[in-house]
Amino acid sequence: MSKLAKVFVFAEHVDAMRELAQGAAQLGETTALIWAGDKSQAGGTDTVYYLGELSNERILEHYAPTIINLIKTEQPSLVLVESSRKGRLMAGIIAAAMGTSVLADAAQITVDNGVVTQRMVYGGAALSTERSTAPTTVATVSAGIFEATDTGKAANLVEVPFIAPAPTVKCLERKIKAGESVNLRAAKRIVAVGRGFTSPEELQLAEQLAAAIGAEVGCTRPIAEEEKWMDKARYIGVSGVMAKPELYIGIGISGQVQHMVGVSSARTIIAINSDKNAMIFNQCDYGIVGDLKTVLPALTAKLSK
Amino acid sequence: MKIVACVKAVPEEQDISIKPDHTLDLSKAELKVGQYDLNAVEAAVQLQEATGSEEPLLVSIGTPKGLKNTKLQKAMLSRGAGALFGVADDSLDSIDALATASILAAAITKIGGVDLVVCGEGSGDIYSQQVGPLLGQLLGFANLNAVSRITPRGEKLEVERTLENEVEVLEVTLPAVLSVTTDINKARIPGLKEILAAGKKPITVWGAGDLAMTAASNIEVISTLAPPKAERKQIVLEGDSDENISQLADNLRKVL
Repeated sequence: MSKLAKVFVFAEHVDAMRELAQGAAQLGETTALIWAGDKSQAGGTDTVYYLGELSNERILEHYAPTIINLIKTEQPSLVLVESSRKGRLMAGIIAAAMGTSVLADAAQITVDNGVVTQRMVYGGAALSTERSTAPTTVATVSAGIFEATDTGKAANLVEVPFIAPAPTVKCLERKIKAGESVNLRAAKRIVAVGRGFTSPEELQLAEQLAAAIGAEVGCTRPIAEEEKWMDKARYIGVSGVMAKPELYIGIGISGQVQHMVGVSSARTIIAINSDKNAMIFNQCDYGIVGDLKTVLPALTAKLSK
Repeated sequence: MKIVACVKAVPEEQDISIKPDHTLDLSKAELKVGQYDLNAVEAAVQLQEATGSEEPLLVSIGTPKGLKNTKLQKAMLSRGAGALFGVADDSLDSIDALATASILAAAITKIGGVDLVVCGEGSGDIYSQQVGPLLGQLLGFANLNAVSRITPRGEKLEVERTLENEVEVLEVTLPAVLSVTTDINKARIPGLKEILAAGKKPITVWGAGDLAMTAASNIEVISTLAPPKAERKQIVLEGDSDENISQLADNLRKVL
């Protein structure tokens, strides 16, 4: 694989920075990181372009003109952007300023007469392979596609002069998000609930099964976003968590592609559903057609023995 | 406050079938309004209701098949918006996010005097989540995504953004492009009355030639293919008898 001349990384979290720095080293002759916040955390690339501190007075978005100016000056061949929410916004801002589109949510990225990425479209029903021939390609990169590197390497640190933005966004408050922190992406076993549950109380049946087998509990989009019975961090699917469990048990879940794509790499898929025509039965290893109120307590009891 | 919400006609994913060569067959897929766009329309309508502004306008770009389809026009207009502006051309099928944002920017500029553009989190089909961010930069407006609450504060807006680990509360000076989360609201479901009324709302459809725009693209889609399907055992027991549950428990134990 040929290499690109200059690959930049834009990340806001240290985990993503380490992964993308590794990606940049694989894809580029020279590498640089654009970083704001804690200066001591930055590294892993040949150069670090340090923007400055983050505070209520200066949130990441306020650095947009500074970042655009840096990229226009340095003309990297590729900017790898963390696929966090702020990363996605900055990817769009950089790309529009550079007159190109964004290769979004790359799950695979190679150099082949341009930058070639692969990503999911149509709710996971298809993989799209796309090539960018832009002078500067901007790609948001899914978590976990590059191994994180040790960032101990001493980098050449460049302090980038601040260019003030238009004063149209003022930060009034930043607060730690309420709700639980759960990392379903790392869970080895997942018990997931769907529309087959008719009340929040019934979810206990799934929670008890999960406790018996040491699994995390996940859900489909309607359970999190419409019913709001579970935190959004537990919602599995194309616009939620893309999980990689070894074991997945889907209960009262019809098996639509948008959800199933989030667990499709599971070694074993088990389905419990009262509708024998549910699509999930075509995509499972073991299944049972039955009432979850009967199956779950009995199954939990048998597995707890 | 002049509010615009962006909507896209997307194929009903349940009707997409896969051909033997793994390419997709979209010919039987009916078009519908992108599911995430419904939250954008709802947010625009709620803000209009809170400020007593005029009914929000919808802007959509795509092929004539989609935008001149009256059922789809009604689906777009039956949720509280006042009028629809479309840009329709056969060349606008599967264009990239920058081209989409460029045409939306041209249409919004042509409408004129727009204070706020609301976009969904991403389109229902491609879901790159980039059109809003690109559009904000192209228009030179205040530009935020992940917006989970919008509250009017005089001439300005107070906006809450839900990020991975934190929540930001921001004061935004208009004009702005805001891309909203999928849980900012529960989009209303139109009744028969709203659907009938939608048929009487004004619709303007421009051709690509009516707008000052350049939609050149340097991204090429090489292929769109269904992923290889994992082989699954598909051992399904019918009925929740104790015997069947015991058998399921045995199978489950093997993989624990």
